[in-house]
Amino acid sequence: MEKKRFRFDKINLGHGSGGIMTRELLDELIFKTFNNPYLDQKHDGSIVNIEGKIAISTDSFVVSPIFFKGGNIGELAVNGTVNDVAMCGAIPKYLSLAFIVEEGLKADAFSEIVETIKATADRCGVVVITGDTKVVERGKGDKIFINTTGFGAVHPEAEISAKRITIGDKIIVSGNIAQHGMAIMSQREGLKFESDIESDTTNLNFLIEDLLNSFGAKIKLFRDPTRGGLASTLSEIATDTNIGILIEEDKIPLERQVAAACEILGLDPMYVANEGVFVAIVDSEIASNVVAMMKQDSKGLNAVCIGEITNDHKGKVVMQSAIGGKRIVTPLIGEHLPRIC
Amino acid sequence: MKIILSGQVQGVGFRPFVFNLAEEFKVKGTVSNNEEGLIIFAEASQKIIASFYNAIIDRAPKVSKINSHNISEIVCHNFNDFKIIPSKSDSRLNLQLTPDFGICNACKQEIIDPNNIRYKYPFTTCVHCGPRWAITKTFPFERHHTSMDEFEMCQRCKTEYNNPRNRRFHSQTNSCDTCGIQLKLIDKNSKLISKDNSSIFKSIRELFLEGQIISVKNTSGYLLCCDARNESVVQKLRNKKNRPEKPFALLYPTLEKLKDHYDIKHDIEKEITSVERPIVIIPNSKSNNGHIAKSVAPGLNQLGVMLPNSALLQLMANEIDFPIVATSGNVSGSPILSHNSEALERLSPIADYFLQHNLDIEHPQDDSVIKFSSNFNLRVLFRRSRGFAPNYYSQKTVNKAKVMAMGAHLKSSIGFMPNDYIYISQYLGHLENYGVYERFVNEVSGFISIFQQQPNVVLVDKHPSYQSTIYGKELAKSLGVELYEIQHHRAHFSSLLSEHSLFNTSSEILGVVWDGTGYGDDKQIWGGEFFKYYQGKMQRINYFDYFDWLAGDKMAKEPRLSLFSLIEDEKTPCISRKFTPDEIVIYEQLKKKNRLKTSSVGRLFDAVASLLDICDINTYEGEAAIKLENTIGDYDMSKCKRYVSVSSNAHVPTKAIIKGVQSDLEKGVKKSQIICNFLFTLANIVLGVANHYEIKRIACTGGVFQNTVLLDMLKELAGTDYELFFNCNLSPNDENISLGQMMYYLNGLD
Ligand SMILES: [Fe+3]
Ligand SMILES: [Mg+2]
Ligand SMILES: [Zn+2]
Ligand SMILES: [Zn+2]
Repeated sequence: MEKKRFRFDKINLGHGSGGIMTRELLDELIFKTFNNPYLDQKHDGSIVNIEGKIAISTDSFVVSPIFFKGGNIGELAVNGTVNDVAMCGAIPKYLSLAFIVEEGLKADAFSEIVETIKATADRCGVVVITGDTKVVERGKGDKIFINTTGFGAVHPEAEISAKRITIGDKIIVSGNIAQHGMAIMSQREGLKFESDIESDTTNLNFLIEDLLNSFGAKIKLFRDPTRGGLASTLSEIATDTNIGILIEEDKIPLERQVAAACEILGLDPMYVANEGVFVAIVDSEIASNVVAMMKQDSKGLNAVCIGEITNDHKGKVVMQSAIGGKRIVTPLIGEHLPRIC
Repeated sequence: MKIILSGQVQGVGFRPFVFNLAEEFKVKGTVSNNEEGLIIFAEASQKIIASFYNAIIDRAPKVSKINSHNISEIVCHNFNDFKIIPSKSDSRLNLQLTPDFGICNACKQEIIDPNNIRYKYPFTTCVHCGPRWAITKTFPFERHHTSMDEFEMCQRCKTEYNNPRNRRFHSQTNSCDTCGIQLKLIDKNSKLISKDNSSIFKSIRELFLEGQIISVKNTSGYLLCCDARNESVVQKLRNKKNRPEKPFALLYPTLEKLKDHYDIKHDIEKEITSVERPIVIIPNSKSNNGHIAKSVAPGLNQLGVMLPNSALLQLMANEIDFPIVATSGNVSGSPILSHNSEALERLSPIADYFLQHNLDIEHPQDDSVIKFSSNFNLRVLFRRSRGFAPNYYSQKTVNKAKVMAMGAHLKSSIGFMPNDYIYISQYLGHLENYGVYERFVNEVSGFISIFQQQPNVVLVDKHPSYQSTIYGKELAKSLGVELYEIQHHRAHFSSLLSEHSLFNTSSEILGVVWDGTGYGDDKQIWGGEFFKYYQGKMQRINYFDYFDWLAGDKMAKEPRLSLFSLIEDEKTPCISRKFTPDEIVIYEQLKKKNRLKTSSVGRLFDAVASLLDICDINTYEGEAAIKLENTIGDYDMSKCKRYVSVSSNAHVPTKAIIKGVQSDLEKGVKKSQIICNFLFTLANIVLGVANHYEIKRIACTGGVFQNTVLLDMLKELAGTDYELFFNCNLSPNDENISLGQMMYYLNGLD
């Protein structure tokens, strides 16, 4: 990676003015890095070809710290949106990219983020086709915010819809939960655990595509349980569709170190954010095959069926605990507040 | 003349009682239930009517409770005789529901009399005793509105039912061996052992002696029972129930046996033999050790005991001369079981045998729990359930809003006001558990369907993630009615203002509300609050110095975390003994960056318990506080000192209390003395704050006021200078939140 390519150390307001400095930053960094025919038009926008139904998803990324164990905000910004498009049962193809940079961000940091974005986009098989960069005064942002919008072609066999979920469908989680949130938190709060916890941020689009190729419409729903964790995602599904979800606590895949960290902090891993995990709700007859297929993929090594759709407790997620009792899993409401008297 | 009575006058033999009085006084007329209450039309000379009226009030059945009565003149009907008019299912009837009553002496006699037709009949009841709320399907209490409807009375029972001179005249639960409820003893594989009432309890005695665990379906729900003297079976029950430390309650066969083993004070005897038949927590005097297994109440010098409350338990008691463990039949955290198949499924890993019957239980209830303070005999409800629920006694309210209050989260209860009366459900349990939540939801819909009245206002706690709040919001939305959120400690205080009818007094009241957690108006965790109530306004005037709330719900489970938060220097040896080096680094970091603050006195208790090495991690809810109180033994208040005093600006320095404890500990002061000093400090804080604000009437509520030593100290310190108020018909803990929410709303606060 080529360092010190700029005449300046830090991003300043001038870089967002739209003038010469902006052009210099874009030319030196953005266009050089992404270097593709769409961007090279240097036009107000891009014209692309997508056949059939299009899935579009947008997301803004704010995270502190911007560099963390297992990735940085740039990687998150690509994977997050790519995954959201994939969750629609689509194959992500194009990405828009917008930065809001706080005055004073180190130029090196910015360029590293941009390069990570390029590398991640390549890995995901998506092309950055349009973008924007704004600079805000010091104190008006938090180093850097990124917005991405993803465009993808819906898989011809896909029929992703929560409405198609029926009693008996199985709920599958693709991997260990709570990794990303715990990595961010431990780094932000300066918490030292036995070993460092790494973010699980990764792109899930190829695994999703493989699953759709093999199982098509037998797959009812994909969701990525990012903010609010698995608990909030499952709760949303239950409430929106008015079906009951029953999961088993001891099936929830959780890495030992993450579990220990959650325990110490009094956090429920069910509410901790994930960035490289998805939930699939599938017809019960294919459930074991889906799990088997996921396990073949590096992104689904820890895939497991955690529960099913039931006729009971409509609109609620209930977790069967390892020692016999059941409890309601509520969505995350605001911040975590103690309830025990 | 027309006589109207209101109160608990239904399902208690009131109409038969009036009928017999009418015969005695030669009064003609009718008795029935209507919208206004129990209504009597009476015809006789003015003099006779007067004595008839007085006799009704004076001689009313023991288990009835008359709230109000009046007599008025009406036009003459020319009655030929005196009749009881049966009541129809009518939700507008302005009557109270009826709680379950413990077996009466007359019934107790019958079941041991070989010549009586109810000899050894386990479901012997009469108008004075037996289940009521437990079997209530709808309203008012008539046989066909209960699960007794399944059983058709035989000719003999019917004759009793129709005979005004019989104790079972209009007894809705009347049944006998030929027509009644069938008991059976099976093993955990459902193999029938016995169905013979005459020998079944002898077999049970043998099984107890063999060291078996028996699940007994009482008339209010399942119990798990075993020989309380047998250490290994009690331990086995602990292991299987996944309940390592939490004390078990004991069922004593007789009062005599109980008095044999323990000193039973008069108040305790009265309570334990009362018609409500609660568990009473008594001192477990050391000299009396050896009567029961150590693991019944490990680490405690107190014991929960009760006497048989039903014919079934009475017959069992009659066969044994030793105490048995009688704990709610559930798997830890789940609600008490009541359905046969579910109980068999859930409890067969625990119990070896099941004593079952075929009476359906509509409202399963745990046993109520009461404790008396040792000096002033202050009566504290720890759990309000069987015998007390669902009626709540207070003056009739005039507000016509049909209010449903959803209560709190950990010790949940529901409040409903469908007519002129207030109903507070039995203790329902911790809503974290899905079974408890289901029961909670069922009780809500039960109240609605029993009274055929939908609430037009729903009240919830301000805490956004209490399960009761979430459900209350769903309910209000689905009914399309108004919803109000009421702050936890304001609700606590309101419950007390209501219990003592203080809402309309002209003087200022100091509300001292101390508990573990509650969501505050400032989004912090409150728990050491002082309010002033004056002329319809409730104002938070003071609170314990905030300290850090660490690690979510974990802090309430691990008293050592409260210590960590409150201790000045985390490098002290006691911290390094209680935490791993990694934990210390992490919690120091948490403490540095933490933003969630608390004034919780409950957590202050935890910190003291941990500092004194009494409890670092709770194995059951409230363990640290209970063990702290149990470490005291006898004390002399004149030897107590205060760790802090309330400063001139009434500021309460929480951390200085811990500092004081720490320095006494270093000086080698005895733990029991330190705890007394701590409680003495708290009692002085109450009075110091009262003094500062020049308020003479002090109302104390919240879970912390389950500490009976603190109550005694307060009482002694207050003397005649201050007037103290404590909860009386409800527990000071979160069980009173539902009533408090209703009263806060109905009195138009905020
Ligand atoms: Fe409380
Ligand atoms: Mg997203
Ligand atoms: Zn009786
Ligand atoms: Zn009969």
